[in-house]
Amino acid sequence: MKSESCQRYLEDPEANPSHPETCAECAFFAEIGADVSPRPVAIEALPLAPWEGARHRAWPLVLGIALALLVIAAAVFAAAGTTPAQVMRRIFPNLDLIVSTVRLLGDGLQHAPAGLQIGIGICFLVVNTVFVLLLRRAPKGIDV
Amino acid sequence: MFRIARLLVPLTTIAALAVIGMLLLPRGAAGGERTPTHLTATSHNQYLFGHDAIIEQPVHGNVQVYFGNVYVHNVIDGDLLVYGGDVTVHEPGRVTGKLIHGGGSVAGVEGRAGHVYSMSSLEGATATLTTTAVVLSLLFVWLVTAVIVTLANDREIRYSSIEIRGSALHCFALGLVALTSFVLTAIVFSYLVPFLIGIPLLAALGVLAILTKIYGMVAVFHAVGTLVAGSRTREQLASRKWLRGDIAMVVIGVLILGAIRMIPVVGPVVWGGASVFGVGVALATKFGRREPWFLAWRPAEA
Repeated sequence: MKSESCQRYLEDPEANPSHPETCAECAFFAEIGADVSPRPVAIEALPLAPWEGARHRAWPLVLGIALALLVIAAAVFAAAGTTPAQVMRRIFPNLDLIVSTVRLLGDGLQHAPAGLQIGIGICFLVVNTVFVLLLRRAPKGIDV
Repeated sequence: MFRIARLLVPLTTIAALAVIGMLLLPRGAAGGERTPTHLTATSHNQYLFGHDAIIEQPVHGNVQVYFGNVYVHNVIDGDLLVYGGDVTVHEPGRVTGKLIHGGGSVAGVEGRAGHVYSMSSLEGATATLTTTAVVLSLLFVWLVTAVIVTLANDREIRYSSIEIRGSALHCFALGLVALTSFVLTAIVFSYLVPFLIGIPLLAALGVLAILTKIYGMVAVFHAVGTLVAGSRTREQLASRKWLRGDIAMVVIGVLILGAIRMIPVVGPVVWGGASVFGVGVALATKFGRREPWFLAWRPAEA
């Protein structure tokens, strides 16, 4: 099907009998007697598509769960006798730790045994080759 | 050739699991009985790989020990970094600078080291109640992040979620290889730290890793939510008032994985596995954009 006139012809061939004279493609199908008229599609018979209803925004659910989480977390913090700020300071690495570790590791690697450095180099090449090979695989084409 | 290509993903999965295991459990590489190295008095930095170290004379400089234990009986006038081993400090030993350790325990450092840092961050939260509070707080942060990411990229997240369910093994293998690649690339970039260019390269790698993890986790939340609470038929979809749509699926996924995360031992393992899936699917789908990472070369046809 190439144009709107093709569409009109396919929908009602009897009302557009002259169309095959101007369209070689439709003339071919008319000549071989192929039934190319569009069939009605039963939407309800098709499986549920991933995008159906996907844009619905369930804000009461989101806000309710977020609020519940916040209240429970605050209650547990209160029961533990500490504050989120104190705990976060303790568990997250601070800048001093990151900078010191990176500086020391960088210096240490320069002095690693030659075998270890070669091993790291080989591992780097092998792993990244496999990485690129895996990235080349196309994802499955499911319409969403 | 085809047979080799089919074996690539399973073999890669096994190999990557082994490498990750060795990286996360360095104590296995520590070995048994070894002859310790006695560090002599020196004014240079000291580096030891795969050996225990006994410090009986003052060291003026930094000491680094990888995959070995350290026994400090004298003064280290600098920093001490120990990875894959234990640190024991005996009187009159002390570390004037920072003591950074990972993959091992420390003993006797109270008041004998400038700053003591652990590379594993959650070690600090020892109390169960505090840990629970931290996990709940992080879940709240994940919930907010997941909602924002889904609002901005709903189609991409949906596509990635389908990819996880359609190509689970590929996503897992890719995630494992990607994590291993990130670690190895970070090590290689660390070589460049003394030349300054290493710092921005490491920062860029860190940003990429964090973005990949965040996007991937949101896709995993969506996949888990859809698997557990997704509508199977149109009638079911039409009858639901709240439990429909991408946002609801993501929130349900956060709740389910978050609840599993609270279980001791199993929780962190499951969450870690979800992270691997997430990193894998984020990269497999190019953040849901369905574009190839590499353009294929084809000769021009006449």
